[in-house]
Amino acid sequence: MAMSAAPPRRGERRLLVVVLRLALAGVILAGWEAYGRLVDSSLTSTPSDIAAVLAGWARSVLWLNLGVTLFEIAAGLVLGVPAGIVAGLFLGRARVAGALLRPIVVLFYSVPFIALTPLLIMWFGVGSASKVMLIALSSFFLLFFNTFAGAQEVDPDLVAMADIMGASRRERFVKVIAPACAPRILSGLKTALPFALIGAVIGEMLAARAGLGNLLMDSGNDFDMAGLYAALAVLMVVGVVMNALAQRLETWLLRWRP
Amino acid sequence: MDEPVIELTGVAKLFDARGVIAKALDEVDLVVRPQRFVALVGPSGCGKSTVLNLVAGLLDPSAGSVRYRGNPVERPNRRVGYMTQKDTLLPWRSVADNIGLPLELACRALGRAERHDRVEQMMELVGLAGFGRHYPSELSGGMRRRAALARMLIYEPETLLLDEPFGALDAQLKLVMQQELARLTHLRQMTVLFVTHDLTEAIALADEVAVFTRRPGRIRRLCKIDLPQPRDIVSVRFTPDFAGYHDLLWNELKEEFGTGGDA
Repeated sequence: MAMSAAPPRRGERRLLVVVLRLALAGVILAGWEAYGRLVDSSLTSTPSDIAAVLAGWARSVLWLNLGVTLFEIAAGLVLGVPAGIVAGLFLGRARVAGALLRPIVVLFYSVPFIALTPLLIMWFGVGSASKVMLIALSSFFLLFFNTFAGAQEVDPDLVAMADIMGASRRERFVKVIAPACAPRILSGLKTALPFALIGAVIGEMLAARAGLGNLLMDSGNDFDMAGLYAALAVLMVVGVVMNALAQRLETWLLRWRP
Repeated sequence: MDEPVIELTGVAKLFDARGVIAKALDEVDLVVRPQRFVALVGPSGCGKSTVLNLVAGLLDPSAGSVRYRGNPVERPNRRVGYMTQKDTLLPWRSVADNIGLPLELACRALGRAERHDRVEQMMELVGLAGFGRHYPSELSGGMRRRAALARMLIYEPETLLLDEPFGALDAQLKLVMQQELARLTHLRQMTVLFVTHDLTEAIALADEVAVFTRRPGRIRRLCKIDLPQPRDIVSVRFTPDFAGYHDLLWNELKEEFGTGGDA
């Protein structure tokens, strides 16, 4: 029937967008390739050169360096995130301690964490430990600030309801306060994730023996343009994947939101 | 007679609203004996809800005393079930998980299977069967009220504090829910303090109706409703005695509305 063409329109439009996006990417890459070949400057590279470098790395240095960076991010987050959430929940609900800590919290929140990198490298050396600590510290504070604010904003009527129902202190935390903070905790996490990548890369650029930041610096020091771009491309992929994971997590945890 | 469950003596409550002291309650005396159903009616803003908050232990009186089974109420009162006017369903829990919450708590924890059965029963009772997996944000206002009611009834507290529980319901459903509440509170021998705007509802359900003055709220008249319990909520409205009570109380109430209350 002629009418059957109408319903899949939305799907068709989506497909069209995908095709157009791919076409746009193709045009940009082709333009870049053409420009790079025509000008042949030492400051530009070409997509084909970059692809060649990536292919070479894939058989050699890429996996170790990628692994080191991902390890630093994961270890830092594992240390910092749960501790930040727990500290934020408890101090956010303790009235006196909360009031006492507020100025300190504001003070710490104003420090650009990245500025701690040299200090941490002095304390923990040029290996992964200093990067892990940087990420742990920054993610701890980012989660702490957000959870702390969230815990102070919990609707007192919900807490009173749980009290009257007979909830113990622990149950009040687990069943009311912590889930009520979930939106804040997630927004903390969504700040902490990209920051963890930045922290790892900057730490590695300043002083390291391995990692994507190190790879980037090495390429730069060798005036290896294709290598620089290749390292950036890898970082871009890591960043995109991390953000997508955070987005998935948020959609799932906050599925109750209208 | 039995020792009172709830006893308010000379209770006053002041609120500080941005520097302006407002008196919500003044010299309120109220005694609720076991298994009695007491309705509070009066113009809005007269402090009826404040009475419930005092009995629930969420507020302290500015003067006078609030006692529950002889003891001053000084902290959240865990022997009552309280259905506030405000929606206090947990938005991140499904309807079934909200209703089952009281049975998850260590003080009366039930096994998963039994909890599930009780929740199903309760949802049937309040007309929410089939909505268990929805989140509160996906329900209408009336359905959320029923879920809140179910969450309170499921653990059968000895005393119920209800703040306009049926306000948002359509007329038919309201009758069904009133009948269920009457049946259940009678069956479980519960004591009830019930705030409503609806005089008909108050007389149909209650053993005693307290008419409040407009702010600052005092009890203008306390009237015993001598209609036999248990009642049929629908047919009781058509008895001559009911009409008599209605006239009497409406005359009291009307004066509070007539003289410039904020209702």
